[in-house]
Amino acid sequence: VIEAIAVGAVRGGTSVVFAGVGETIAERSGVIYLGCEGSMLVGALTAYAVGIETGSPWLGALAAVVTGLLLALLHGLLVIHRGANQIATGLAITFLGLGATALFGQSYVSQGVQPFEPWAIPGLSQIPFLGNVLFDHDPLTYLSFVVAPAAWWFLFRTGPGLRIRAAGERPEVLGTMGVEATRSRWLALAIAGGMSGLGGAQLATAFTRTWSENMVAGRGFIAVALVIFAAWNPIQIVAGAYLFSGAVAFELQLQARGSDISIFLLDAIPYLVVIVVLSLLSRARRHAAPESLAAVFQHQVSTT
Amino acid sequence: VSVVLSEISPQRWRSSTRLIGVFVASLVVFALLLVANGADPIAGYRAMWSSITRDSSAFGDVLIRTVPYLLGALAVIVPARAGLFNIGGEGQLLLGAIGAMWIANVLDQSLPRGVTLLLMAFVAMLLAGAWAALAAALRLVAGTNEAISTLLLNYLATLLLGWLVFGPWKDPASTGFPRTRPFETGESMPMLFGRVHIGVAIAVPVTVLVWAALRYTAWGFQLTVLGQNPEAARRAGFRTGALSLSALALGGALAGLGGMLQTSGVESNLRPGIMSGYGFTAVLAAWMVRQSPIKAMGSAFLLAAIAIGGNGLKIREGLSAASVNILMAIILLAVLGWGTRQKKEAS
Repeated sequence: VIEAIAVGAVRGGTSVVFAGVGETIAERSGVIYLGCEGSMLVGALTAYAVGIETGSPWLGALAAVVTGLLLALLHGLLVIHRGANQIATGLAITFLGLGATALFGQSYVSQGVQPFEPWAIPGLSQIPFLGNVLFDHDPLTYLSFVVAPAAWWFLFRTGPGLRIRAAGERPEVLGTMGVEATRSRWLALAIAGGMSGLGGAQLATAFTRTWSENMVAGRGFIAVALVIFAAWNPIQIVAGAYLFSGAVAFELQLQARGSDISIFLLDAIPYLVVIVVLSLLSRARRHAAPESLAAVFQHQVSTT
Repeated sequence: VSVVLSEISPQRWRSSTRLIGVFVASLVVFALLLVANGADPIAGYRAMWSSITRDSSAFGDVLIRTVPYLLGALAVIVPARAGLFNIGGEGQLLLGAIGAMWIANVLDQSLPRGVTLLLMAFVAMLLAGAWAALAAALRLVAGTNEAISTLLLNYLATLLLGWLVFGPWKDPASTGFPRTRPFETGESMPMLFGRVHIGVAIAVPVTVLVWAALRYTAWGFQLTVLGQNPEAARRAGFRTGALSLSALALGGALAGLGGMLQTSGVESNLRPGIMSGYGFTAVLAAWMVRQSPIKAMGSAFLLAAIAIGGNGLKIREGLSAASVNILMAIILLAVLGWGTRQKKEAS
């Protein structure tokens, strides 16, 4: 049972890992992207549709990165270029993604896609317990294993990463050095959009293997919540994502075992877990927030 | 007329032509997307237009849809005054519906219609207000961001409704599609005309009341100070915690009233998927008019017309009704980005 929950946590958490790590990078630059949910939806449909049209899930995933990214750039156009409110814009972007995928996705609803098949890693996948949990997944899930450490390295060990963090903490310092904070924000937002799109691709072409309207069902919003939980650290996002999807897997196991608790109450567990854990950690996380993110809640991006 | 015209400043003229430009541009973008999907945009708009103007009942549908959108928008506007983001309208509407059905079940038509309806509305507001206050309490006690917590509470509200509809409140007579028992006559909103219930006549004065409370009361003033400058509010000795709590609770209560009016006046029973998306649409309505309660009547009406138009798009053109979310989103994005002449410069 524990193995089934762990396998479910990893497989179901992958899309949230991608989106959450991307969101972390965006928020590190001082931009909050609630359109993450929309980018995931658009990515999911793109991957699914391109996968069907070309027969290649890889091309689908690639296209999903592009469309997820384009939607994020629209967010950038509004909040970075036009100074619009970030929360409202992000919600509108999600609404746009919801509507656009409903419109364009209608003809794909009952079609089957060539999905990403699991690649069992020879040898490693034979290890009891760990083999199934870690080494028998679709390629995008393997990619998600490296994405968080890579994002950490990018943010904390490279020049562009440093500039992104500076844009989030003290954009005026960047300004005095002749570096534009907005450029770093565009980059961070593009990464967030692309990774959300990729997360959507994993969801549609590797995890559920179907397309339906609004299929992301709040995973993008969960990713945004997890960023706070993870104290804006990409490594900890992974823990949060697996905690959430582990709760989902746990609840599915209970259902499969014929528990007489209503499935609706069981379905509430993952959301309750996120709210409770977030509340327990919020005080401790307060100082971890990038400073200019606070300005988000005063209605606009701070600019230099 | 000439006096009125002369009082309208040139800026105001410019900003209204600007808004019209933004609206037309949004229609064009949506048309292009329809073309990209292989649909005929002219036929699409014609279908949307005719589904809201076909006859008085179609127009009535727009009016009654305005009610939950408007009250949901007020649920965003009041907390926004205090600098709080309430994205939980979706769940607060449902809690209102649940409160209404709960009281209907408890009273079981033992009281006169007017009293029953008042009690239903009261408990709907109480329950939804408490639901929203939960987010405020989490913020005050644990420092949880209220935008995130109200958002997540939506999913819990949906699941709560699902549990009730499939479990304790399931109508034994419902086969296939589970639902609760219908609201009886003594528990339903009286009609003004056709399908238009008196909730329409209630929502407007409530909006004016909210506007007046925000504008003319000490409470409204303190909320505004808190929203504009929390530090100043603290130094002035305002009870900022109580203010935040009251703003979110009142917001939730208004959405709850919307949920009660919609279910008792229109839906006739509770079932899964009821009022889905209304709370998010209400957020769009609030932001479209920069949190002005009076103007929200206009934006809620516009979005209601688009939503009802979406039904026409579905029935006549076979497109997903959710497609009109595109149009709603583009209008809001255009207003946010280009609704005012100047880019907002941050201080």
